[in-house]
Amino acid sequence: MTGYLIRRFAGALAVMWAVATLVFFMLRAVPGDPLAAMLFDVGDPAAADAIRTKFGLDQPLWVQYAKWFWLVLQGDLGQSIYGSRLDVSRIVLEALPRTLSLTGLAFLIAVVIAVPAGLISAVRKHSLLDHSVTFVAFLGLSMPDFWLGILLIILFAANLQWLPAIGYAPLSEGFWPWLSHLIMPAIAVGTPFAAIIARMIRSSMLEVLKTDYLDVARAKGLRKWAIIIEHALPNALIPVVTVMGIAIALLMASAVVVESVFAIKGLGRVLIEGILNRDYPVVQGVILVISAIFVFANLVVDLLYTVIDPRIRYD
Amino acid sequence: MTKDTSTAQARSRRQIRQQLETAYDFDPRDPMFGLHRHDLSGPQLERRTVLRLLAAAGALSATHLVSDLGARPAQAAAGGTLHAGWSGVGEFRTLDPAQINQVLLFQIASNVMSGLTHIDPQLVAQGDLAVDWQANDDGTEYVFNLREGVTFHNGDAFTADDVIFTYQRSKDPEKSIHGRVIANIADIEKLGDHKIRITLSAPQASLLVKTLERSSGRAMTIVSRGGIEQLGDQQYGLTPVGSGPFRVTEHQLGQSMTLERFEDYYDPDRPKLDKVVIQPVIDPEPLAAAIEAGDIQIIGGNPIAPELTDRFEANGDLTVDIVPAPGFQSVFMNPHREPFKVSDFNKPLEELMQEPGFKVRLAIAKAIDRDLYIKQAQFGRGEPAYGTINPAMGFYFDEALGEASNQSFDLEEAKRLLAEGGYPDGEGFPKIKIIHTPSTRRDCQVIKAMLKRNLNIDIELDTKDFPVLIDEFDRMDWDLTRLGSGGDFDPDDGLVDWMQTASKFNGRERDKSVLAFGFFSDEEVDRMIAEQSVTSDPKARRELVQQANRLTSDKVASAFLFHPADILVYRKSVNFPAESRIPGLVDLDRVTLS
Repeated sequence: MTGYLIRRFAGALAVMWAVATLVFFMLRAVPGDPLAAMLFDVGDPAAADAIRTKFGLDQPLWVQYAKWFWLVLQGDLGQSIYGSRLDVSRIVLEALPRTLSLTGLAFLIAVVIAVPAGLISAVRKHSLLDHSVTFVAFLGLSMPDFWLGILLIILFAANLQWLPAIGYAPLSEGFWPWLSHLIMPAIAVGTPFAAIIARMIRSSMLEVLKTDYLDVARAKGLRKWAIIIEHALPNALIPVVTVMGIAIALLMASAVVVESVFAIKGLGRVLIEGILNRDYPVVQGVILVISAIFVFANLVVDLLYTVIDPRIRYD
Repeated sequence: MTKDTSTAQARSRRQIRQQLETAYDFDPRDPMFGLHRHDLSGPQLERRTVLRLLAAAGALSATHLVSDLGARPAQAAAGGTLHAGWSGVGEFRTLDPAQINQVLLFQIASNVMSGLTHIDPQLVAQGDLAVDWQANDDGTEYVFNLREGVTFHNGDAFTADDVIFTYQRSKDPEKSIHGRVIANIADIEKLGDHKIRITLSAPQASLLVKTLERSSGRAMTIVSRGGIEQLGDQQYGLTPVGSGPFRVTEHQLGQSMTLERFEDYYDPDRPKLDKVVIQPVIDPEPLAAAIEAGDIQIIGGNPIAPELTDRFEANGDLTVDIVPAPGFQSVFMNPHREPFKVSDFNKPLEELMQEPGFKVRLAIAKAIDRDLYIKQAQFGRGEPAYGTINPAMGFYFDEALGEASNQSFDLEEAKRLLAEGGYPDGEGFPKIKIIHTPSTRRDCQVIKAMLKRNLNIDIELDTKDFPVLIDEFDRMDWDLTRLGSGGDFDPDDGLVDWMQTASKFNGRERDKSVLAFGFFSDEEVDRMIAEQSVTSDPKARRELVQQANRLTSDKVASAFLFHPADILVYRKSVNFPAESRIPGLVDLDRVTLS
């Protein structure tokens, strides 16, 4: 197991390096000069040259790459080209809790909705309830998250005025301010995800419910819900957990759009603005962090298999 | 009608009559007669002078004569917290004036920092940290008396040394991006703790309104030495220390910025509010929902999406205050490419009018029905543009240009010109693209449809990210470009920055061995622009500005589209006084809450 973990960890680092390297060169291949846009209004070649020299943008590409990579190895993500040259690590650290809060809550909402919905529609197959859950699931899946977000804002913020329309409050300001700002974006992000998981649980459960060992359990006289929760569900979870691992990436992608709608400055928006401004250090730093989250989330999912199904062993 | 109301109205009418009588102490046919240079020296222009300038511009009305007419009287006591949403922006990456590159950032900085001067709603420079000033005869030396007793937010006293420190910092390209703004300042000398002399390399008419201005100027927005040393450049950009009416007490990057009343501000009557919380909001719909729900009470930042204005105006809880914005928007046509090719703009207009490329340029400019365009693309807000000088500049704006310009809408003439240019009824017109940013996509669609309908020509829309668009624009690698300017408070912003051969936006990255000039070059225009820049007599300057502006219009430096409207939206609980209503800015120091 230890050997497996080391191999996976090394693999994860290699993936992160490959992603970061690709992004480094692809960014520079994309047309658009960061300084031309930033200094458009200023129109001063001296200022542009000073910044170009400071950031080493006048040096050959491989020198820039080597310098950047050396700094990353030391834990330094560099400085933003824009504004007051903030450290990228600072920008990321300010944005990361917001994204984690949003995706975490969205994940929770999705699971809370999806598990009972998936179970009910599997157990009551082809009933009115099953069709209703299926209909709602497809509705959730088909609705663009940003549109759902805007609908929620119009209903709960503009009309009912129950929740704040925009912004984010850190947990340090209290649980309710934090939750009240996040609940609508989390629903917007989590709903399509809930639909995916619910459908996954349904089909996985339908497979498991047909197996012989459940007939044995029924023959033993176990109660119906004990059979479903204790015996069927754990076996149905393997494909569901796999989807959840992949969906963490989907959640983060979805959060990019929803963060903009709700004016939450998470990693997604940092990334988008970095790309639009051609702020190379910011984009490289954020991509590195996002790839780390993605790669390690998948590692955690793989390890979770051993918990869910003791027959799975990594040697 | 109650007796009280009728008495008040009678008093008001009497007041207006008296003010009108005393205001017109000049010949309305020549309001500038007898106005001398000293009338235009600081600390502020006399009311009489301003009235003459307005009258000369044909913009004088009763609202200018009676100070409280039209303005909502402040009904509220001081105090309270104002929640503001800043439109179209994701974060305030810097408020360090030396690094600010967007209007929406200096809107905030103007509430935190001070300058030697600050413009008023008529875009006239008033003393801020400068109490008064004297210019020498040739306009190359200015002696400023600085305000005493001013302190920075960290308690440091403001002296002449801070002005010199700011100047030195802004000159250093390592520390500032605005060195070019002060390139004409040869020296700043300390004559005393609160007295300085600024020596210019050449006279500069825009010195007070542009270079020394606290908001848009930036290069001479006074920074705190102690604050920078204490915080370092990075943190100073997030929580700058200034001497303005509000101090920054908290900044959660990308989420919110909190400003609190600066108790030791030099004017004890300002600011009125205790606190201002500003949130950046990038998407229009959440911004609209937030102000409708009352989560925010005022919108600053980038211009709001034009489609929201009608909705806000229909909302009884909101005030929508519209004034001309300081800027222009255009469609630029590349004179180095077919079908717009012009080899030499220096030829007399009559000669140019014989060239096929010029005829096509003019045909396009004349085929744009600007009123219809503004209705369709800008939801009716904005003014037709025929040059870079905008109506917010008041005194310098040329009201007659719309009728007189070569570019005035005339469909039959446009069709005739296009045919003479080689494309009768658009036949054989080459495939050309218009590059534009995502935010101007809709109005490019309107232009495309209009040119198709009016001239039967097709243009393709090519959406680019801003950095890509600028890159191509600077290299002159385009057929048509949809671009414009904002924050133009002085004629130099429109003319010097855009219309001279050496203008900073005029094809600055082009291959100069191949392309002799950028999108426009005319020696006569260059001469007039250079001359107006050094002309301190406003009347003479206006003459030059309007002549240069008219020539750029007639020679189709670009197809000018519109001057945007500055739309300020706030809830009825906010009292935003007229004296703070400076186009393009959101000065909150006089704002109160009911």
